[in-house]
Amino acid sequence: MAEVLAEGYNVFDTSKSPSGTIRYLSAPADVINLIQSGKLGEHILLVRGGTTTFLAPALSMGAIGVITMSGAPESHLGILSREFQTPCVMTAHLTTSDSRYVVGNTDDAHFEEIAQALDGRRVRLDCTDHEVGRVIADD
Amino acid sequence: MTTTEGKRATFKQRYEEADDGLRFQDLTYTGNFVGMEPVTDGIKGDKMMKSRAKSKVLEKVSKEDVLRDEFTIDELNDLNNYLAWNIWDVLVMRATEGVSGMIPRQEYEILAFMHEFYRWPEILRMTTEEVGGGQGIMDIGATARREIGTKVNAVHDWCIGAVGFGMGRCGLLALEVIKAGDYVGESNEILKFMQRVLWGKRQDGYILNSQDRYRCRIHEPDFLAQIAAQVEPLEPGSPKHGAFTQFNAAAELLSFLDHYDCRLGLGDTGPYELPDGNLLILRDLFVNEEVFHWSDVCDDAGLPHCYTLAIIIDPEKMALAEIRVNDISTTFTRPKNYIEAIVGGAVFARQKWNTPMGEVYPIKVDDLAEHLGKVQTATLKLYQKTARMNRRDLIWNGQYVYYIDMILPHLRLAGTYDKACRDYDFWEIDQRVANYYYDIVKRGFAQETVPSKIFSGAGYLPFPEGASLRSSKGRWL
Repeated sequence: MAEVLAEGYNVFDTSKSPSGTIRYLSAPADVINLIQSGKLGEHILLVRGGTTTFLAPALSMGAIGVITMSGAPESHLGILSREFQTPCVMTAHLTTSDSRYVVGNTDDAHFEEIAQALDGRRVRLDCTDHEVGRVIADD
Repeated sequence: MTTTEGKRATFKQRYEEADDGLRFQDLTYTGNFVGMEPVTDGIKGDKMMKSRAKSKVLEKVSKEDVLRDEFTIDELNDLNNYLAWNIWDVLVMRATEGVSGMIPRQEYEILAFMHEFYRWPEILRMTTEEVGGGQGIMDIGATARREIGTKVNAVHDWCIGAVGFGMGRCGLLALEVIKAGDYVGESNEILKFMQRVLWGKRQDGYILNSQDRYRCRIHEPDFLAQIAAQVEPLEPGSPKHGAFTQFNAAAELLSFLDHYDCRLGLGDTGPYELPDGNLLILRDLFVNEEVFHWSDVCDDAGLPHCYTLAIIIDPEKMALAEIRVNDISTTFTRPKNYIEAIVGGAVFARQKWNTPMGEVYPIKVDDLAEHLGKVQTATLKLYQKTARMNRRDLIWNGQYVYYIDMILPHLRLAGTYDKACRDYDFWEIDQRVANYYYDIVKRGFAQETVPSKIFSGAGYLPFPEGASLRSSKGRWL
């Protein structure tokens, strides 16, 4: 049984199950550098917000999978992930932690814990369930 | 399709009178109805809100009702309550998205809300007078029935009342700079303008899509037939299908970016049922708005003002259970993934906002690659340009996107945009709002207080019984 590292809202159900190394993107410069590296297709992108502008060029240039730490399928990034058919797990939480995202009441430690645990891990996204998206270890 | 095999479409049941629709979320709404049964989302929520109204303003209303000069206090309060629920219904889950990392949206949003509430009333009053009264505003709404690529659409029209009045007043109440009995006359001005545009557009007596089980079927049948005749069949999984859906996504993304991560760049209408049982969604994607100075990169890429996509969905292919075209012009379905059920499509381009309909041109799906390249180029350039902007510029640019663009299409068609700029300083920042720039970052006002008041419904205080319809703000104490 593969280890489920994190779970969150599944934006849309799909049999696509992309795998890659998680890359945490914290600033627009990270996004631009990743695109210019030519290695966008090797990574599952981990971001803090559920807005769409931050990831705009990455989505446009063919991101294969996205994990966010806030937001929902109705958020702009959720809508765009559906349109691009890019599997996306939103408001992901670590299965080994009790910390959860609460709107307007979540300190930085929550986001840092997730970024630290997932950045660099090789994973696969499972988005077959109607509601729950899963981040599965693929090391 | 992995999860719908053997299932049939049931979405038509949603249009039966007794049907309450599906629940798209587990949350419920209270607003000003403390102690009463919580209100749900969707069709059931609409029914509950209508049943709690004191007036008939949420039912189908007549042309005479719409032409009446002003709402009563009961009507204002019913609209206030309904819009507050409607805002919750379409935005409560979106609002979980947190910080952007790119654009300070909560900050620009709250400034725009308050600016609109202060500044729009005299501009809307002038516009109504310039077009000869209420009928002229209804005629502006009606233009959308025979056009594509027009921003006289659900999201812009809804924003007049839901954002300029509802959220603007809510924000100012939360900031404690106005009281519930202030600005009754100005509120009436904004809401009457909204009602007239929307009624003129729909012409079925309702004003909002949520009142009609989330349908926005505004186009005339002969106009729709011309659009449908251009549709090309698309086989799911084929390269042609991929080209169409990829273009849809990329253009939609740029429309978000050009409008600072807000929904004003996107406009869906429908669902229109076609003779073969398939559904048509018409989607406007505004990828180049000429009044935004940052849109110069879209000019450089050779992009038109708007691409319009005719999207044909086979409801049986996805076992469609419910489809909502909500009041911010966005389509949501259950099951959620409608992309694999797209079986046909067509693309059109409108070069400028005022390009005549006869000059709107179709683009073959096989020719979309060239346009996709332009969209991707503009997206990367606009992203790099935006990433270099400082926080203050980002906030005020975003503020302009809301404050200007939400009523821009109506002023353009009324011929009053230049007058608003020249005689009413439309692009200036009101001194009160300029000062609020410093207040909104204190004590989490923009990030926590306002979203909490707006999305819980707790901040939409009713107008006091017996308040004068002429009331403005008599004192600053």
